[in-house]
Amino acid sequence: MTSRAPSGQVTAALYVEDVLLVDRCLTGEPAATRELFRRHKHRVHASLFRVLGSNREMDDLLQDAFLQVFQSLRGWRAEASLSTWIDRVAMRCAYRYLSQRSRRIVAEVLDDDVVALSAMTPGHGERRQLARDGVARLYAVLDELSPAARLAFTLHELDGRPLAETAELVGSSVTATKLRVWRARKRIEAAAAADPVLSEFLDPSAGASADALRFDGEAP
Amino acid sequence: MKLSGRIVVEPLDEERLTNIERRVVSGAVDAAARHGLRAPRRISGRVLAMAAVVTAGLAGWALHAPPPPTVAEPAAIRVETSPQQAVLDIGDARIASDPGAGFAVTRPAGGVLVAMTRGKVELEVGKRVGRPPLVVRAGDTDVIVVGTRFTVDYGDGRGDVDVRVTEGVVRVVHQQQETRVAAGYAWRTHGGLIASAEDDPGARAGSAVASEAGPTATPPDADPTRAAPGETVPTRAAIVIAGGPAPAVLHDRKAAVPEAHAASSGVRTGPSRPAAPDAAPVRGARPSDPRGELRDAIRSQPVEPALDLGEANAASAVTRYYDIAAHQSGEAASQAFYSIAVVRHLRLGRNAEALQTLDAYVRRFPGGKEYRAALWLRVRILCLDKLDDRCRAAAYTFVHQAGDAPAARIAERITLSD
Repeated sequence: MTSRAPSGQVTAALYVEDVLLVDRCLTGEPAATRELFRRHKHRVHASLFRVLGSNREMDDLLQDAFLQVFQSLRGWRAEASLSTWIDRVAMRCAYRYLSQRSRRIVAEVLDDDVVALSAMTPGHGERRQLARDGVARLYAVLDELSPAARLAFTLHELDGRPLAETAELVGSSVTATKLRVWRARKRIEAAAAADPVLSEFLDPSAGASADALRFDGEAP
Repeated sequence: MKLSGRIVVEPLDEERLTNIERRVVSGAVDAAARHGLRAPRRISGRVLAMAAVVTAGLAGWALHAPPPPTVAEPAAIRVETSPQQAVLDIGDARIASDPGAGFAVTRPAGGVLVAMTRGKVELEVGKRVGRPPLVVRAGDTDVIVVGTRFTVDYGDGRGDVDVRVTEGVVRVVHQQQETRVAAGYAWRTHGGLIASAEDDPGARAGSAVASEAGPTATPPDADPTRAAPGETVPTRAAIVIAGGPAPAVLHDRKAAVPEAHAASSGVRTGPSRPAAPDAAPVRGARPSDPRGELRDAIRSQPVEPALDLGEANAASAVTRYYDIAAHQSGEAASQAFYSIAVVRHLRLGRNAEALQTLDAYVRRFPGGKEYRAALWLRVRILCLDKLDDRCRAAAYTFVHQAGDAPAARIAERITLSD
C-alpha cells in the first residue's frame, strides 16, 4: 500500500502530487476535496475499524475524521507524508472518541452458549464463529485499557504498523509506545488465561512474539 | 500472539460511503469559504465583471469619441548622454547622468522605472505620497524611492552597483533581499550597507555636479513625457529621446513598477508597512523611534538566499524544492527545505507558512548547513511583524545558537528591546 509508506519512501511524484492536491483543496475546490477523500477513505476506515472494533458510529467517526482533516489541512507542513498526517488526525479523532466514557464502544453481546464452544471440536463454521467471538472478547478487554494504550496496541498489533510509526501517529515517544503495547499485551494475556475463547483466538503457539517485544529491563 | 491481519474489516457499503463523501466535501468547501480562501475566486469574478464593463465602455468610446491627440505619452524614453553631463527633468524627478551613462525611463502603472544599462546617475525625486514609487533598476538590483536624493553607479553595466543616499531613504532590493538605505549611508553589491564615514569624495562631487547642473541644464521644451515618439530634442547634453520599444534591459525582468507598498522584484514587504510612512522623512523620525531603527537594522541584515533553480515563478520554485526535499537527503534536502521558507517569506509573502517550514527545518536539520540562516530568518519574520515576546525568544535562541554570526548583535539588541 504505497499511501501507507513513511515519508522517506514516498516517491517524489506522489509527494508533489499530494502538495498540489492539498493546494487545490485549500482553495475550496470540491473536485480536489473529493479526490483526497477517495484516495484515503479505505485506509482510514480500516485503521479506525481495527482501533475501535465493529462500531455503529463508524460512519460518523469516519466523517468526523475527514472533516478534521480538511479543517486542519493548512497545518500540513508537507515535510511528512500526507497519508501519515491524515492517519494522525484520524487517530486523534479515535482518541477523543475513546476518551468519552459515556460513549463506550458497544461490543457485541456475548451469548452464554459461546463459552461452551471451547469444549467443542470446531468445524469450519464453528471456527468462524469462534473467531468472531474471539474478536468480540478481545475488544471487550481493549475497552478496559486507557485510550492511549489501546491506540498503541491496536495500531501496532492489529494494524501491523511499526513501533516508530505508531509512536508518530499517537504523538508519543517510541519508548512510551513500546511500554504501552507491552502493558496492553500483558493485560490481554491475563484475560486470555481466564477465557478459553479469547485464548483460542490469540493462538498461544505464537506467544514467542511477546518475548520479542519485552520492554528493556524490568517491567515497571 | 500474532494479531496483525486477523481482524477482518467490515467494509462500508457504497451508499454509506457516498453519503459520507457528500457531507465531507460539503463541510470542507464550507470550511474553506469560512477561512476566506475562496475570496480570490470571488475577486476574480468581480474583476472579470469590471473588466467586461470597462471593455464595453472602451469599445463605445472608441466608436463615438474623437480620435486621440497625436501627442501621446511615450512608452519609453531612451537616453544617451554625450561626453558632457546631462540632466533630465521628468516632472516628478530630476535625473542627472554622468558621461557615458545609459538608461531608459518608462512610466508603468503610474510609477517611474529608470532602467540603467551602465554609468552613474543622480536622482532627485519629489515625495511620492500616495503614488507608486520610482524604481531605479541596475541589473538585478532595484532601488525603490519614495522621495529622496541619491546616486546609483552601475559602472560598466556588468559589475557592482553603488547606491549613495544624500537625502531621505531608499529601499534597495538585491537578490530578494531588501535593505533600507538612509541619508548618509551607502549600499554596494559586495559590502552591503556602509556608513557615511566610508563615503568617498567622488559621490559628494557627483552630488555637487548635479546641483550645479540644476534645472537650467534641461531645455525648456525637453519634458520627455510630453515628447512625441521618435522626436529628437536638441539639448546641450545631447539627450536623445526616442520612442518605440524599451531596451532589452526592461524585458529581462518584470518591467512594472509595483504599488508603493511592495517591492518591484516581487518581494512583499507585508501589509504592516503602509506606503505613507515610507514617504515621510525618515531621518527626522529615527531618533524618536528606536523600534523603527531596530527594524531597519533587521532588514539590512542579509538573508541567506534560496537555492537558485532558475524558476521565475515562486510557486513552481516551491514545488521543485519540495521535489528535492522529498527525493534527496543531506545537504541538498536541507538547502531545498530552507529555500521553501525563503521563497514563502520573500517572494510569496506567506510568513505564517514560512515560519511553519522554518520550525520544521530546525527540528529536522539541527546540524544543517542552513541552520543558522533558518534561525535568523525566524527572527526576521517574527520581529519585522511585531517586536514581542515571541520575537525576543527567537532572537535569544539565535544569540545562543549563533553568537558569532554577524546578525548576533542585532539579535542581542532585540532581546534587550522593550
